[in-house]
Amino acid sequence: MKLLLMMLKNVRRNLIRTILTAIGTMILVLVITGIWSVLEFLDNATSEKSQNIKGIVTERWQIPSQMPMSYARPLEDYSWQGPDNLMTWQFYGGTTDPAKRTFDSVFFAIALEPRKIHTMMDELDTLPPAEKQNLVDIAEKMTLKREGVVVGPGRLKLLKKQVGDRFKVTSFNYRGIDLEFEIVGTFPEGRYDLSAAMNRDYLNDAMDAWTKKAGKPHPMARKTLNLVWFKFPDATVFNDAADKIMNGPDFKEVPVKLETASSGIANFLEAYRDLLWGMRWLLCPAILVTLSMVVANAISISVRERRQELAVMKVLGFVPRQILILVLGEALLLGIFCGGISSSGAYYLVNKVFGGIPFPIAFFGAFKISTHALWWGPAIGATTAFLGSVVPAWSARTVKVSEVFSKVA
Amino acid sequence: MPDFKPPIVQVDQVHKYFKRGGERLDVLSGLSLNVQEGEFVALMGPSGSGKTTLLNLIAGLDTPSEGTIRIGDQVISSMSETQLAKWRTRNIGFVFQFYHLLPVLTAFENVELPMLLLPLSAAQRKQQALNALQLVGLEHRMQHRPGQLSGGQQQRVGIARAIVTDPTLIVADEPTGDLDAKSAVEILDLLCEIRRTLNKTIVLVTHDPRAADRADRILHLEKGKLVSETT
Repeated sequence: MKLLLMMLKNVRRNLIRTILTAIGTMILVLVITGIWSVLEFLDNATSEKSQNIKGIVTERWQIPSQMPMSYARPLEDYSWQGPDNLMTWQFYGGTTDPAKRTFDSVFFAIALEPRKIHTMMDELDTLPPAEKQNLVDIAEKMTLKREGVVVGPGRLKLLKKQVGDRFKVTSFNYRGIDLEFEIVGTFPEGRYDLSAAMNRDYLNDAMDAWTKKAGKPHPMARKTLNLVWFKFPDATVFNDAADKIMNGPDFKEVPVKLETASSGIANFLEAYRDLLWGMRWLLCPAILVTLSMVVANAISISVRERRQELAVMKVLGFVPRQILILVLGEALLLGIFCGGISSSGAYYLVNKVFGGIPFPIAFFGAFKISTHALWWGPAIGATTAFLGSVVPAWSARTVKVSEVFSKVA
Repeated sequence: MPDFKPPIVQVDQVHKYFKRGGERLDVLSGLSLNVQEGEFVALMGPSGSGKTTLLNLIAGLDTPSEGTIRIGDQVISSMSETQLAKWRTRNIGFVFQFYHLLPVLTAFENVELPMLLLPLSAAQRKQQALNALQLVGLEHRMQHRPGQLSGGQQQRVGIARAIVTDPTLIVADEPTGDLDAKSAVEILDLLCEIRRTLNKTIVLVTHDPRAADRADRILHLEKGKLVSETT
C-alpha cells in the first residue's frame, strides 16, 4: 500500500510531463479503440456461424445485383419452413430536392414486406419486447398505408423531417417513378440510423402503373430485385438450399448464388481489403509502438532524474526487484488509468452522445465502440506502459549506489 | 577474566581496485581496521585517499576486491547485492553529505521509508518515526517536505532516518559538508548525543578537523592505506 502511494506521488512529481504523457496515451488509446471496434464489428459480421445462419441470394456474376422480381416466388420454395424466413430487398433511391442534390437531401429506402422488418432484419429481430412492439406497430401502419416509410433518426435529422411529415422523392435509379412518402415511424438508434424502409408493394405498384401508362415495361422491370435474405437453422439446411438454388431450373435468366450473409459481407468488403488490412496490421501496430515510445521516453527521463533517489532507496535496503516494481508500477498506473479513462470515455461519448463512429461502408453506417473496449483501454495502457518502461525500469534496478554517490561527490 | 568484546567492525586486509581500460586503479591496498561497539571513529584524508570507498565497503554499499569485512557476527564482504540490501535495512544507518531525502515525501514519510521493509505494523512504524523525529527535535515539522526545510533541518531528518531502524552502525559521509558553521555544530552535537544516549557506533568521513575532533579516534588515510591514528 505504501509502495503504491509512493508510485502515485512519483507520478505526480512532474505534473506537466505526466499530463502530456497522459494526453498522448489517451489519444492513442482512443484511436486504437475506434479502429478495433470497427474491425471487431466487421470480424463478427464476416465470421461464419454454425447455427441460425442468414443467407443472401444475389446475382451471381454482377455487382450490384439486379434480379427480376419474378424470382421472389420460386425462391420461397427453398425457404426453410416457408416464406416467413425469406425477405426480398429492392433499393429505391432519390432526392427530396432535385434542383440541388446534396447528401442531406438524398433519400435511400429498402423496399420490403413491412412485417419482415422486425422478424428478418439484422439486430431488429433481437430487440427488447418494447422496442420490438414499436416496430410491429410501424409495420402495421406501413401495410395499411403503403406510402408509409420508417426512417432512421440520423436520416430524419438530415432530411429535417419528423414522424407524420410527408415528402416527395425524385428517384434517380427508378427514372420517372417519383413517390410521395409519409413518415410513420423511426428505427431505433444504431445500425439503421441513416437508413429507411418502405413497403415493396408501393414501389412495385408504381412500376406497374408506369408500364400501363407508358405502354412498355419500365427499364428496371427485370432488374428490381437486389437481394433476397433467408434464415436457416443450420449449415446442413443452408447447403441443401444453396445447392438447389444455384443448380435449379428457375433461375436461368439471371444466374444467382446463395451465400451466407457473412460470406456476402466479406465479398462486399473485398473492395476495402487493403484499407482494412492496413488498419489492422500497419496502423494499429504503429500506434502501439508509438505509445510504447511515448511511455519509454517519459519514464526514461524520470529514471534519469531520480538516479540518486533510487540509489538512496537502495542504501536504505530496497532490493533491485523492489526498485524495478516501483518504476514499472508508476508506468502501469499511468497506462491503466489513462487507457481506462480513454476507452470508457470513448465508449460513453461515441455510443451515448454521438451515436456511433461514421464509417459508411456496406450497410453499416455507423459503428459503435465495442463493450470490450472497457477492458481494451486498460489492457492497451498496461501493455504499452510495461513495454515502454521495462528498459528504464531495468536501468533503475541496476543503479550502482557507489557510482551514483561518487559522481555527486 | 576481563570483559572481552570483539570489535563490531572488522576490516581485514581489504583491497579495492577498479579497472579502467587495461589499467588497474588501486583505491584501497591491504587496509585493516577494527571499531569497537559504541565507538566514534573519524576517517580523514585528502581527496582520493579512499575514505569514502572504505565507508561504502563498511556500509555494504560495495564489495571489496579482496579481503574480508565483518560487521557484528556477519561477513558482509561475501554477500550478494540483494543480501546486502536486506542486511543494510536492519544494520546500517547512513547519513549523507547532501541529505538525499526524497522530495515527494514529507519528513515523516522519509523517516518511515526504511521501516517499510521491516515486518512492522503501521502503528509501530508511526511510533518509531515519531520517536526518531522527536530525538532530532523536528516532530513539529514532520508534515513538511524537504523543500520546505533548511539544510540543517534536512540533515536532522536524514539522521532521524538513519537511526529509526535502530541500526548496529551509523555511517556518515561528510554530514556537515553542506552546512553553515552553526548548523554543522548542531549536527555534530546531535550525532554525539545519539552516540551517548543510544550507544551507537559511528563511522564518520570528514575533511573538517572540528568534526573529527568529536571522535574517539581519527584514522588518517593516504593512497588507500591507513597512515596514522590519533586518539
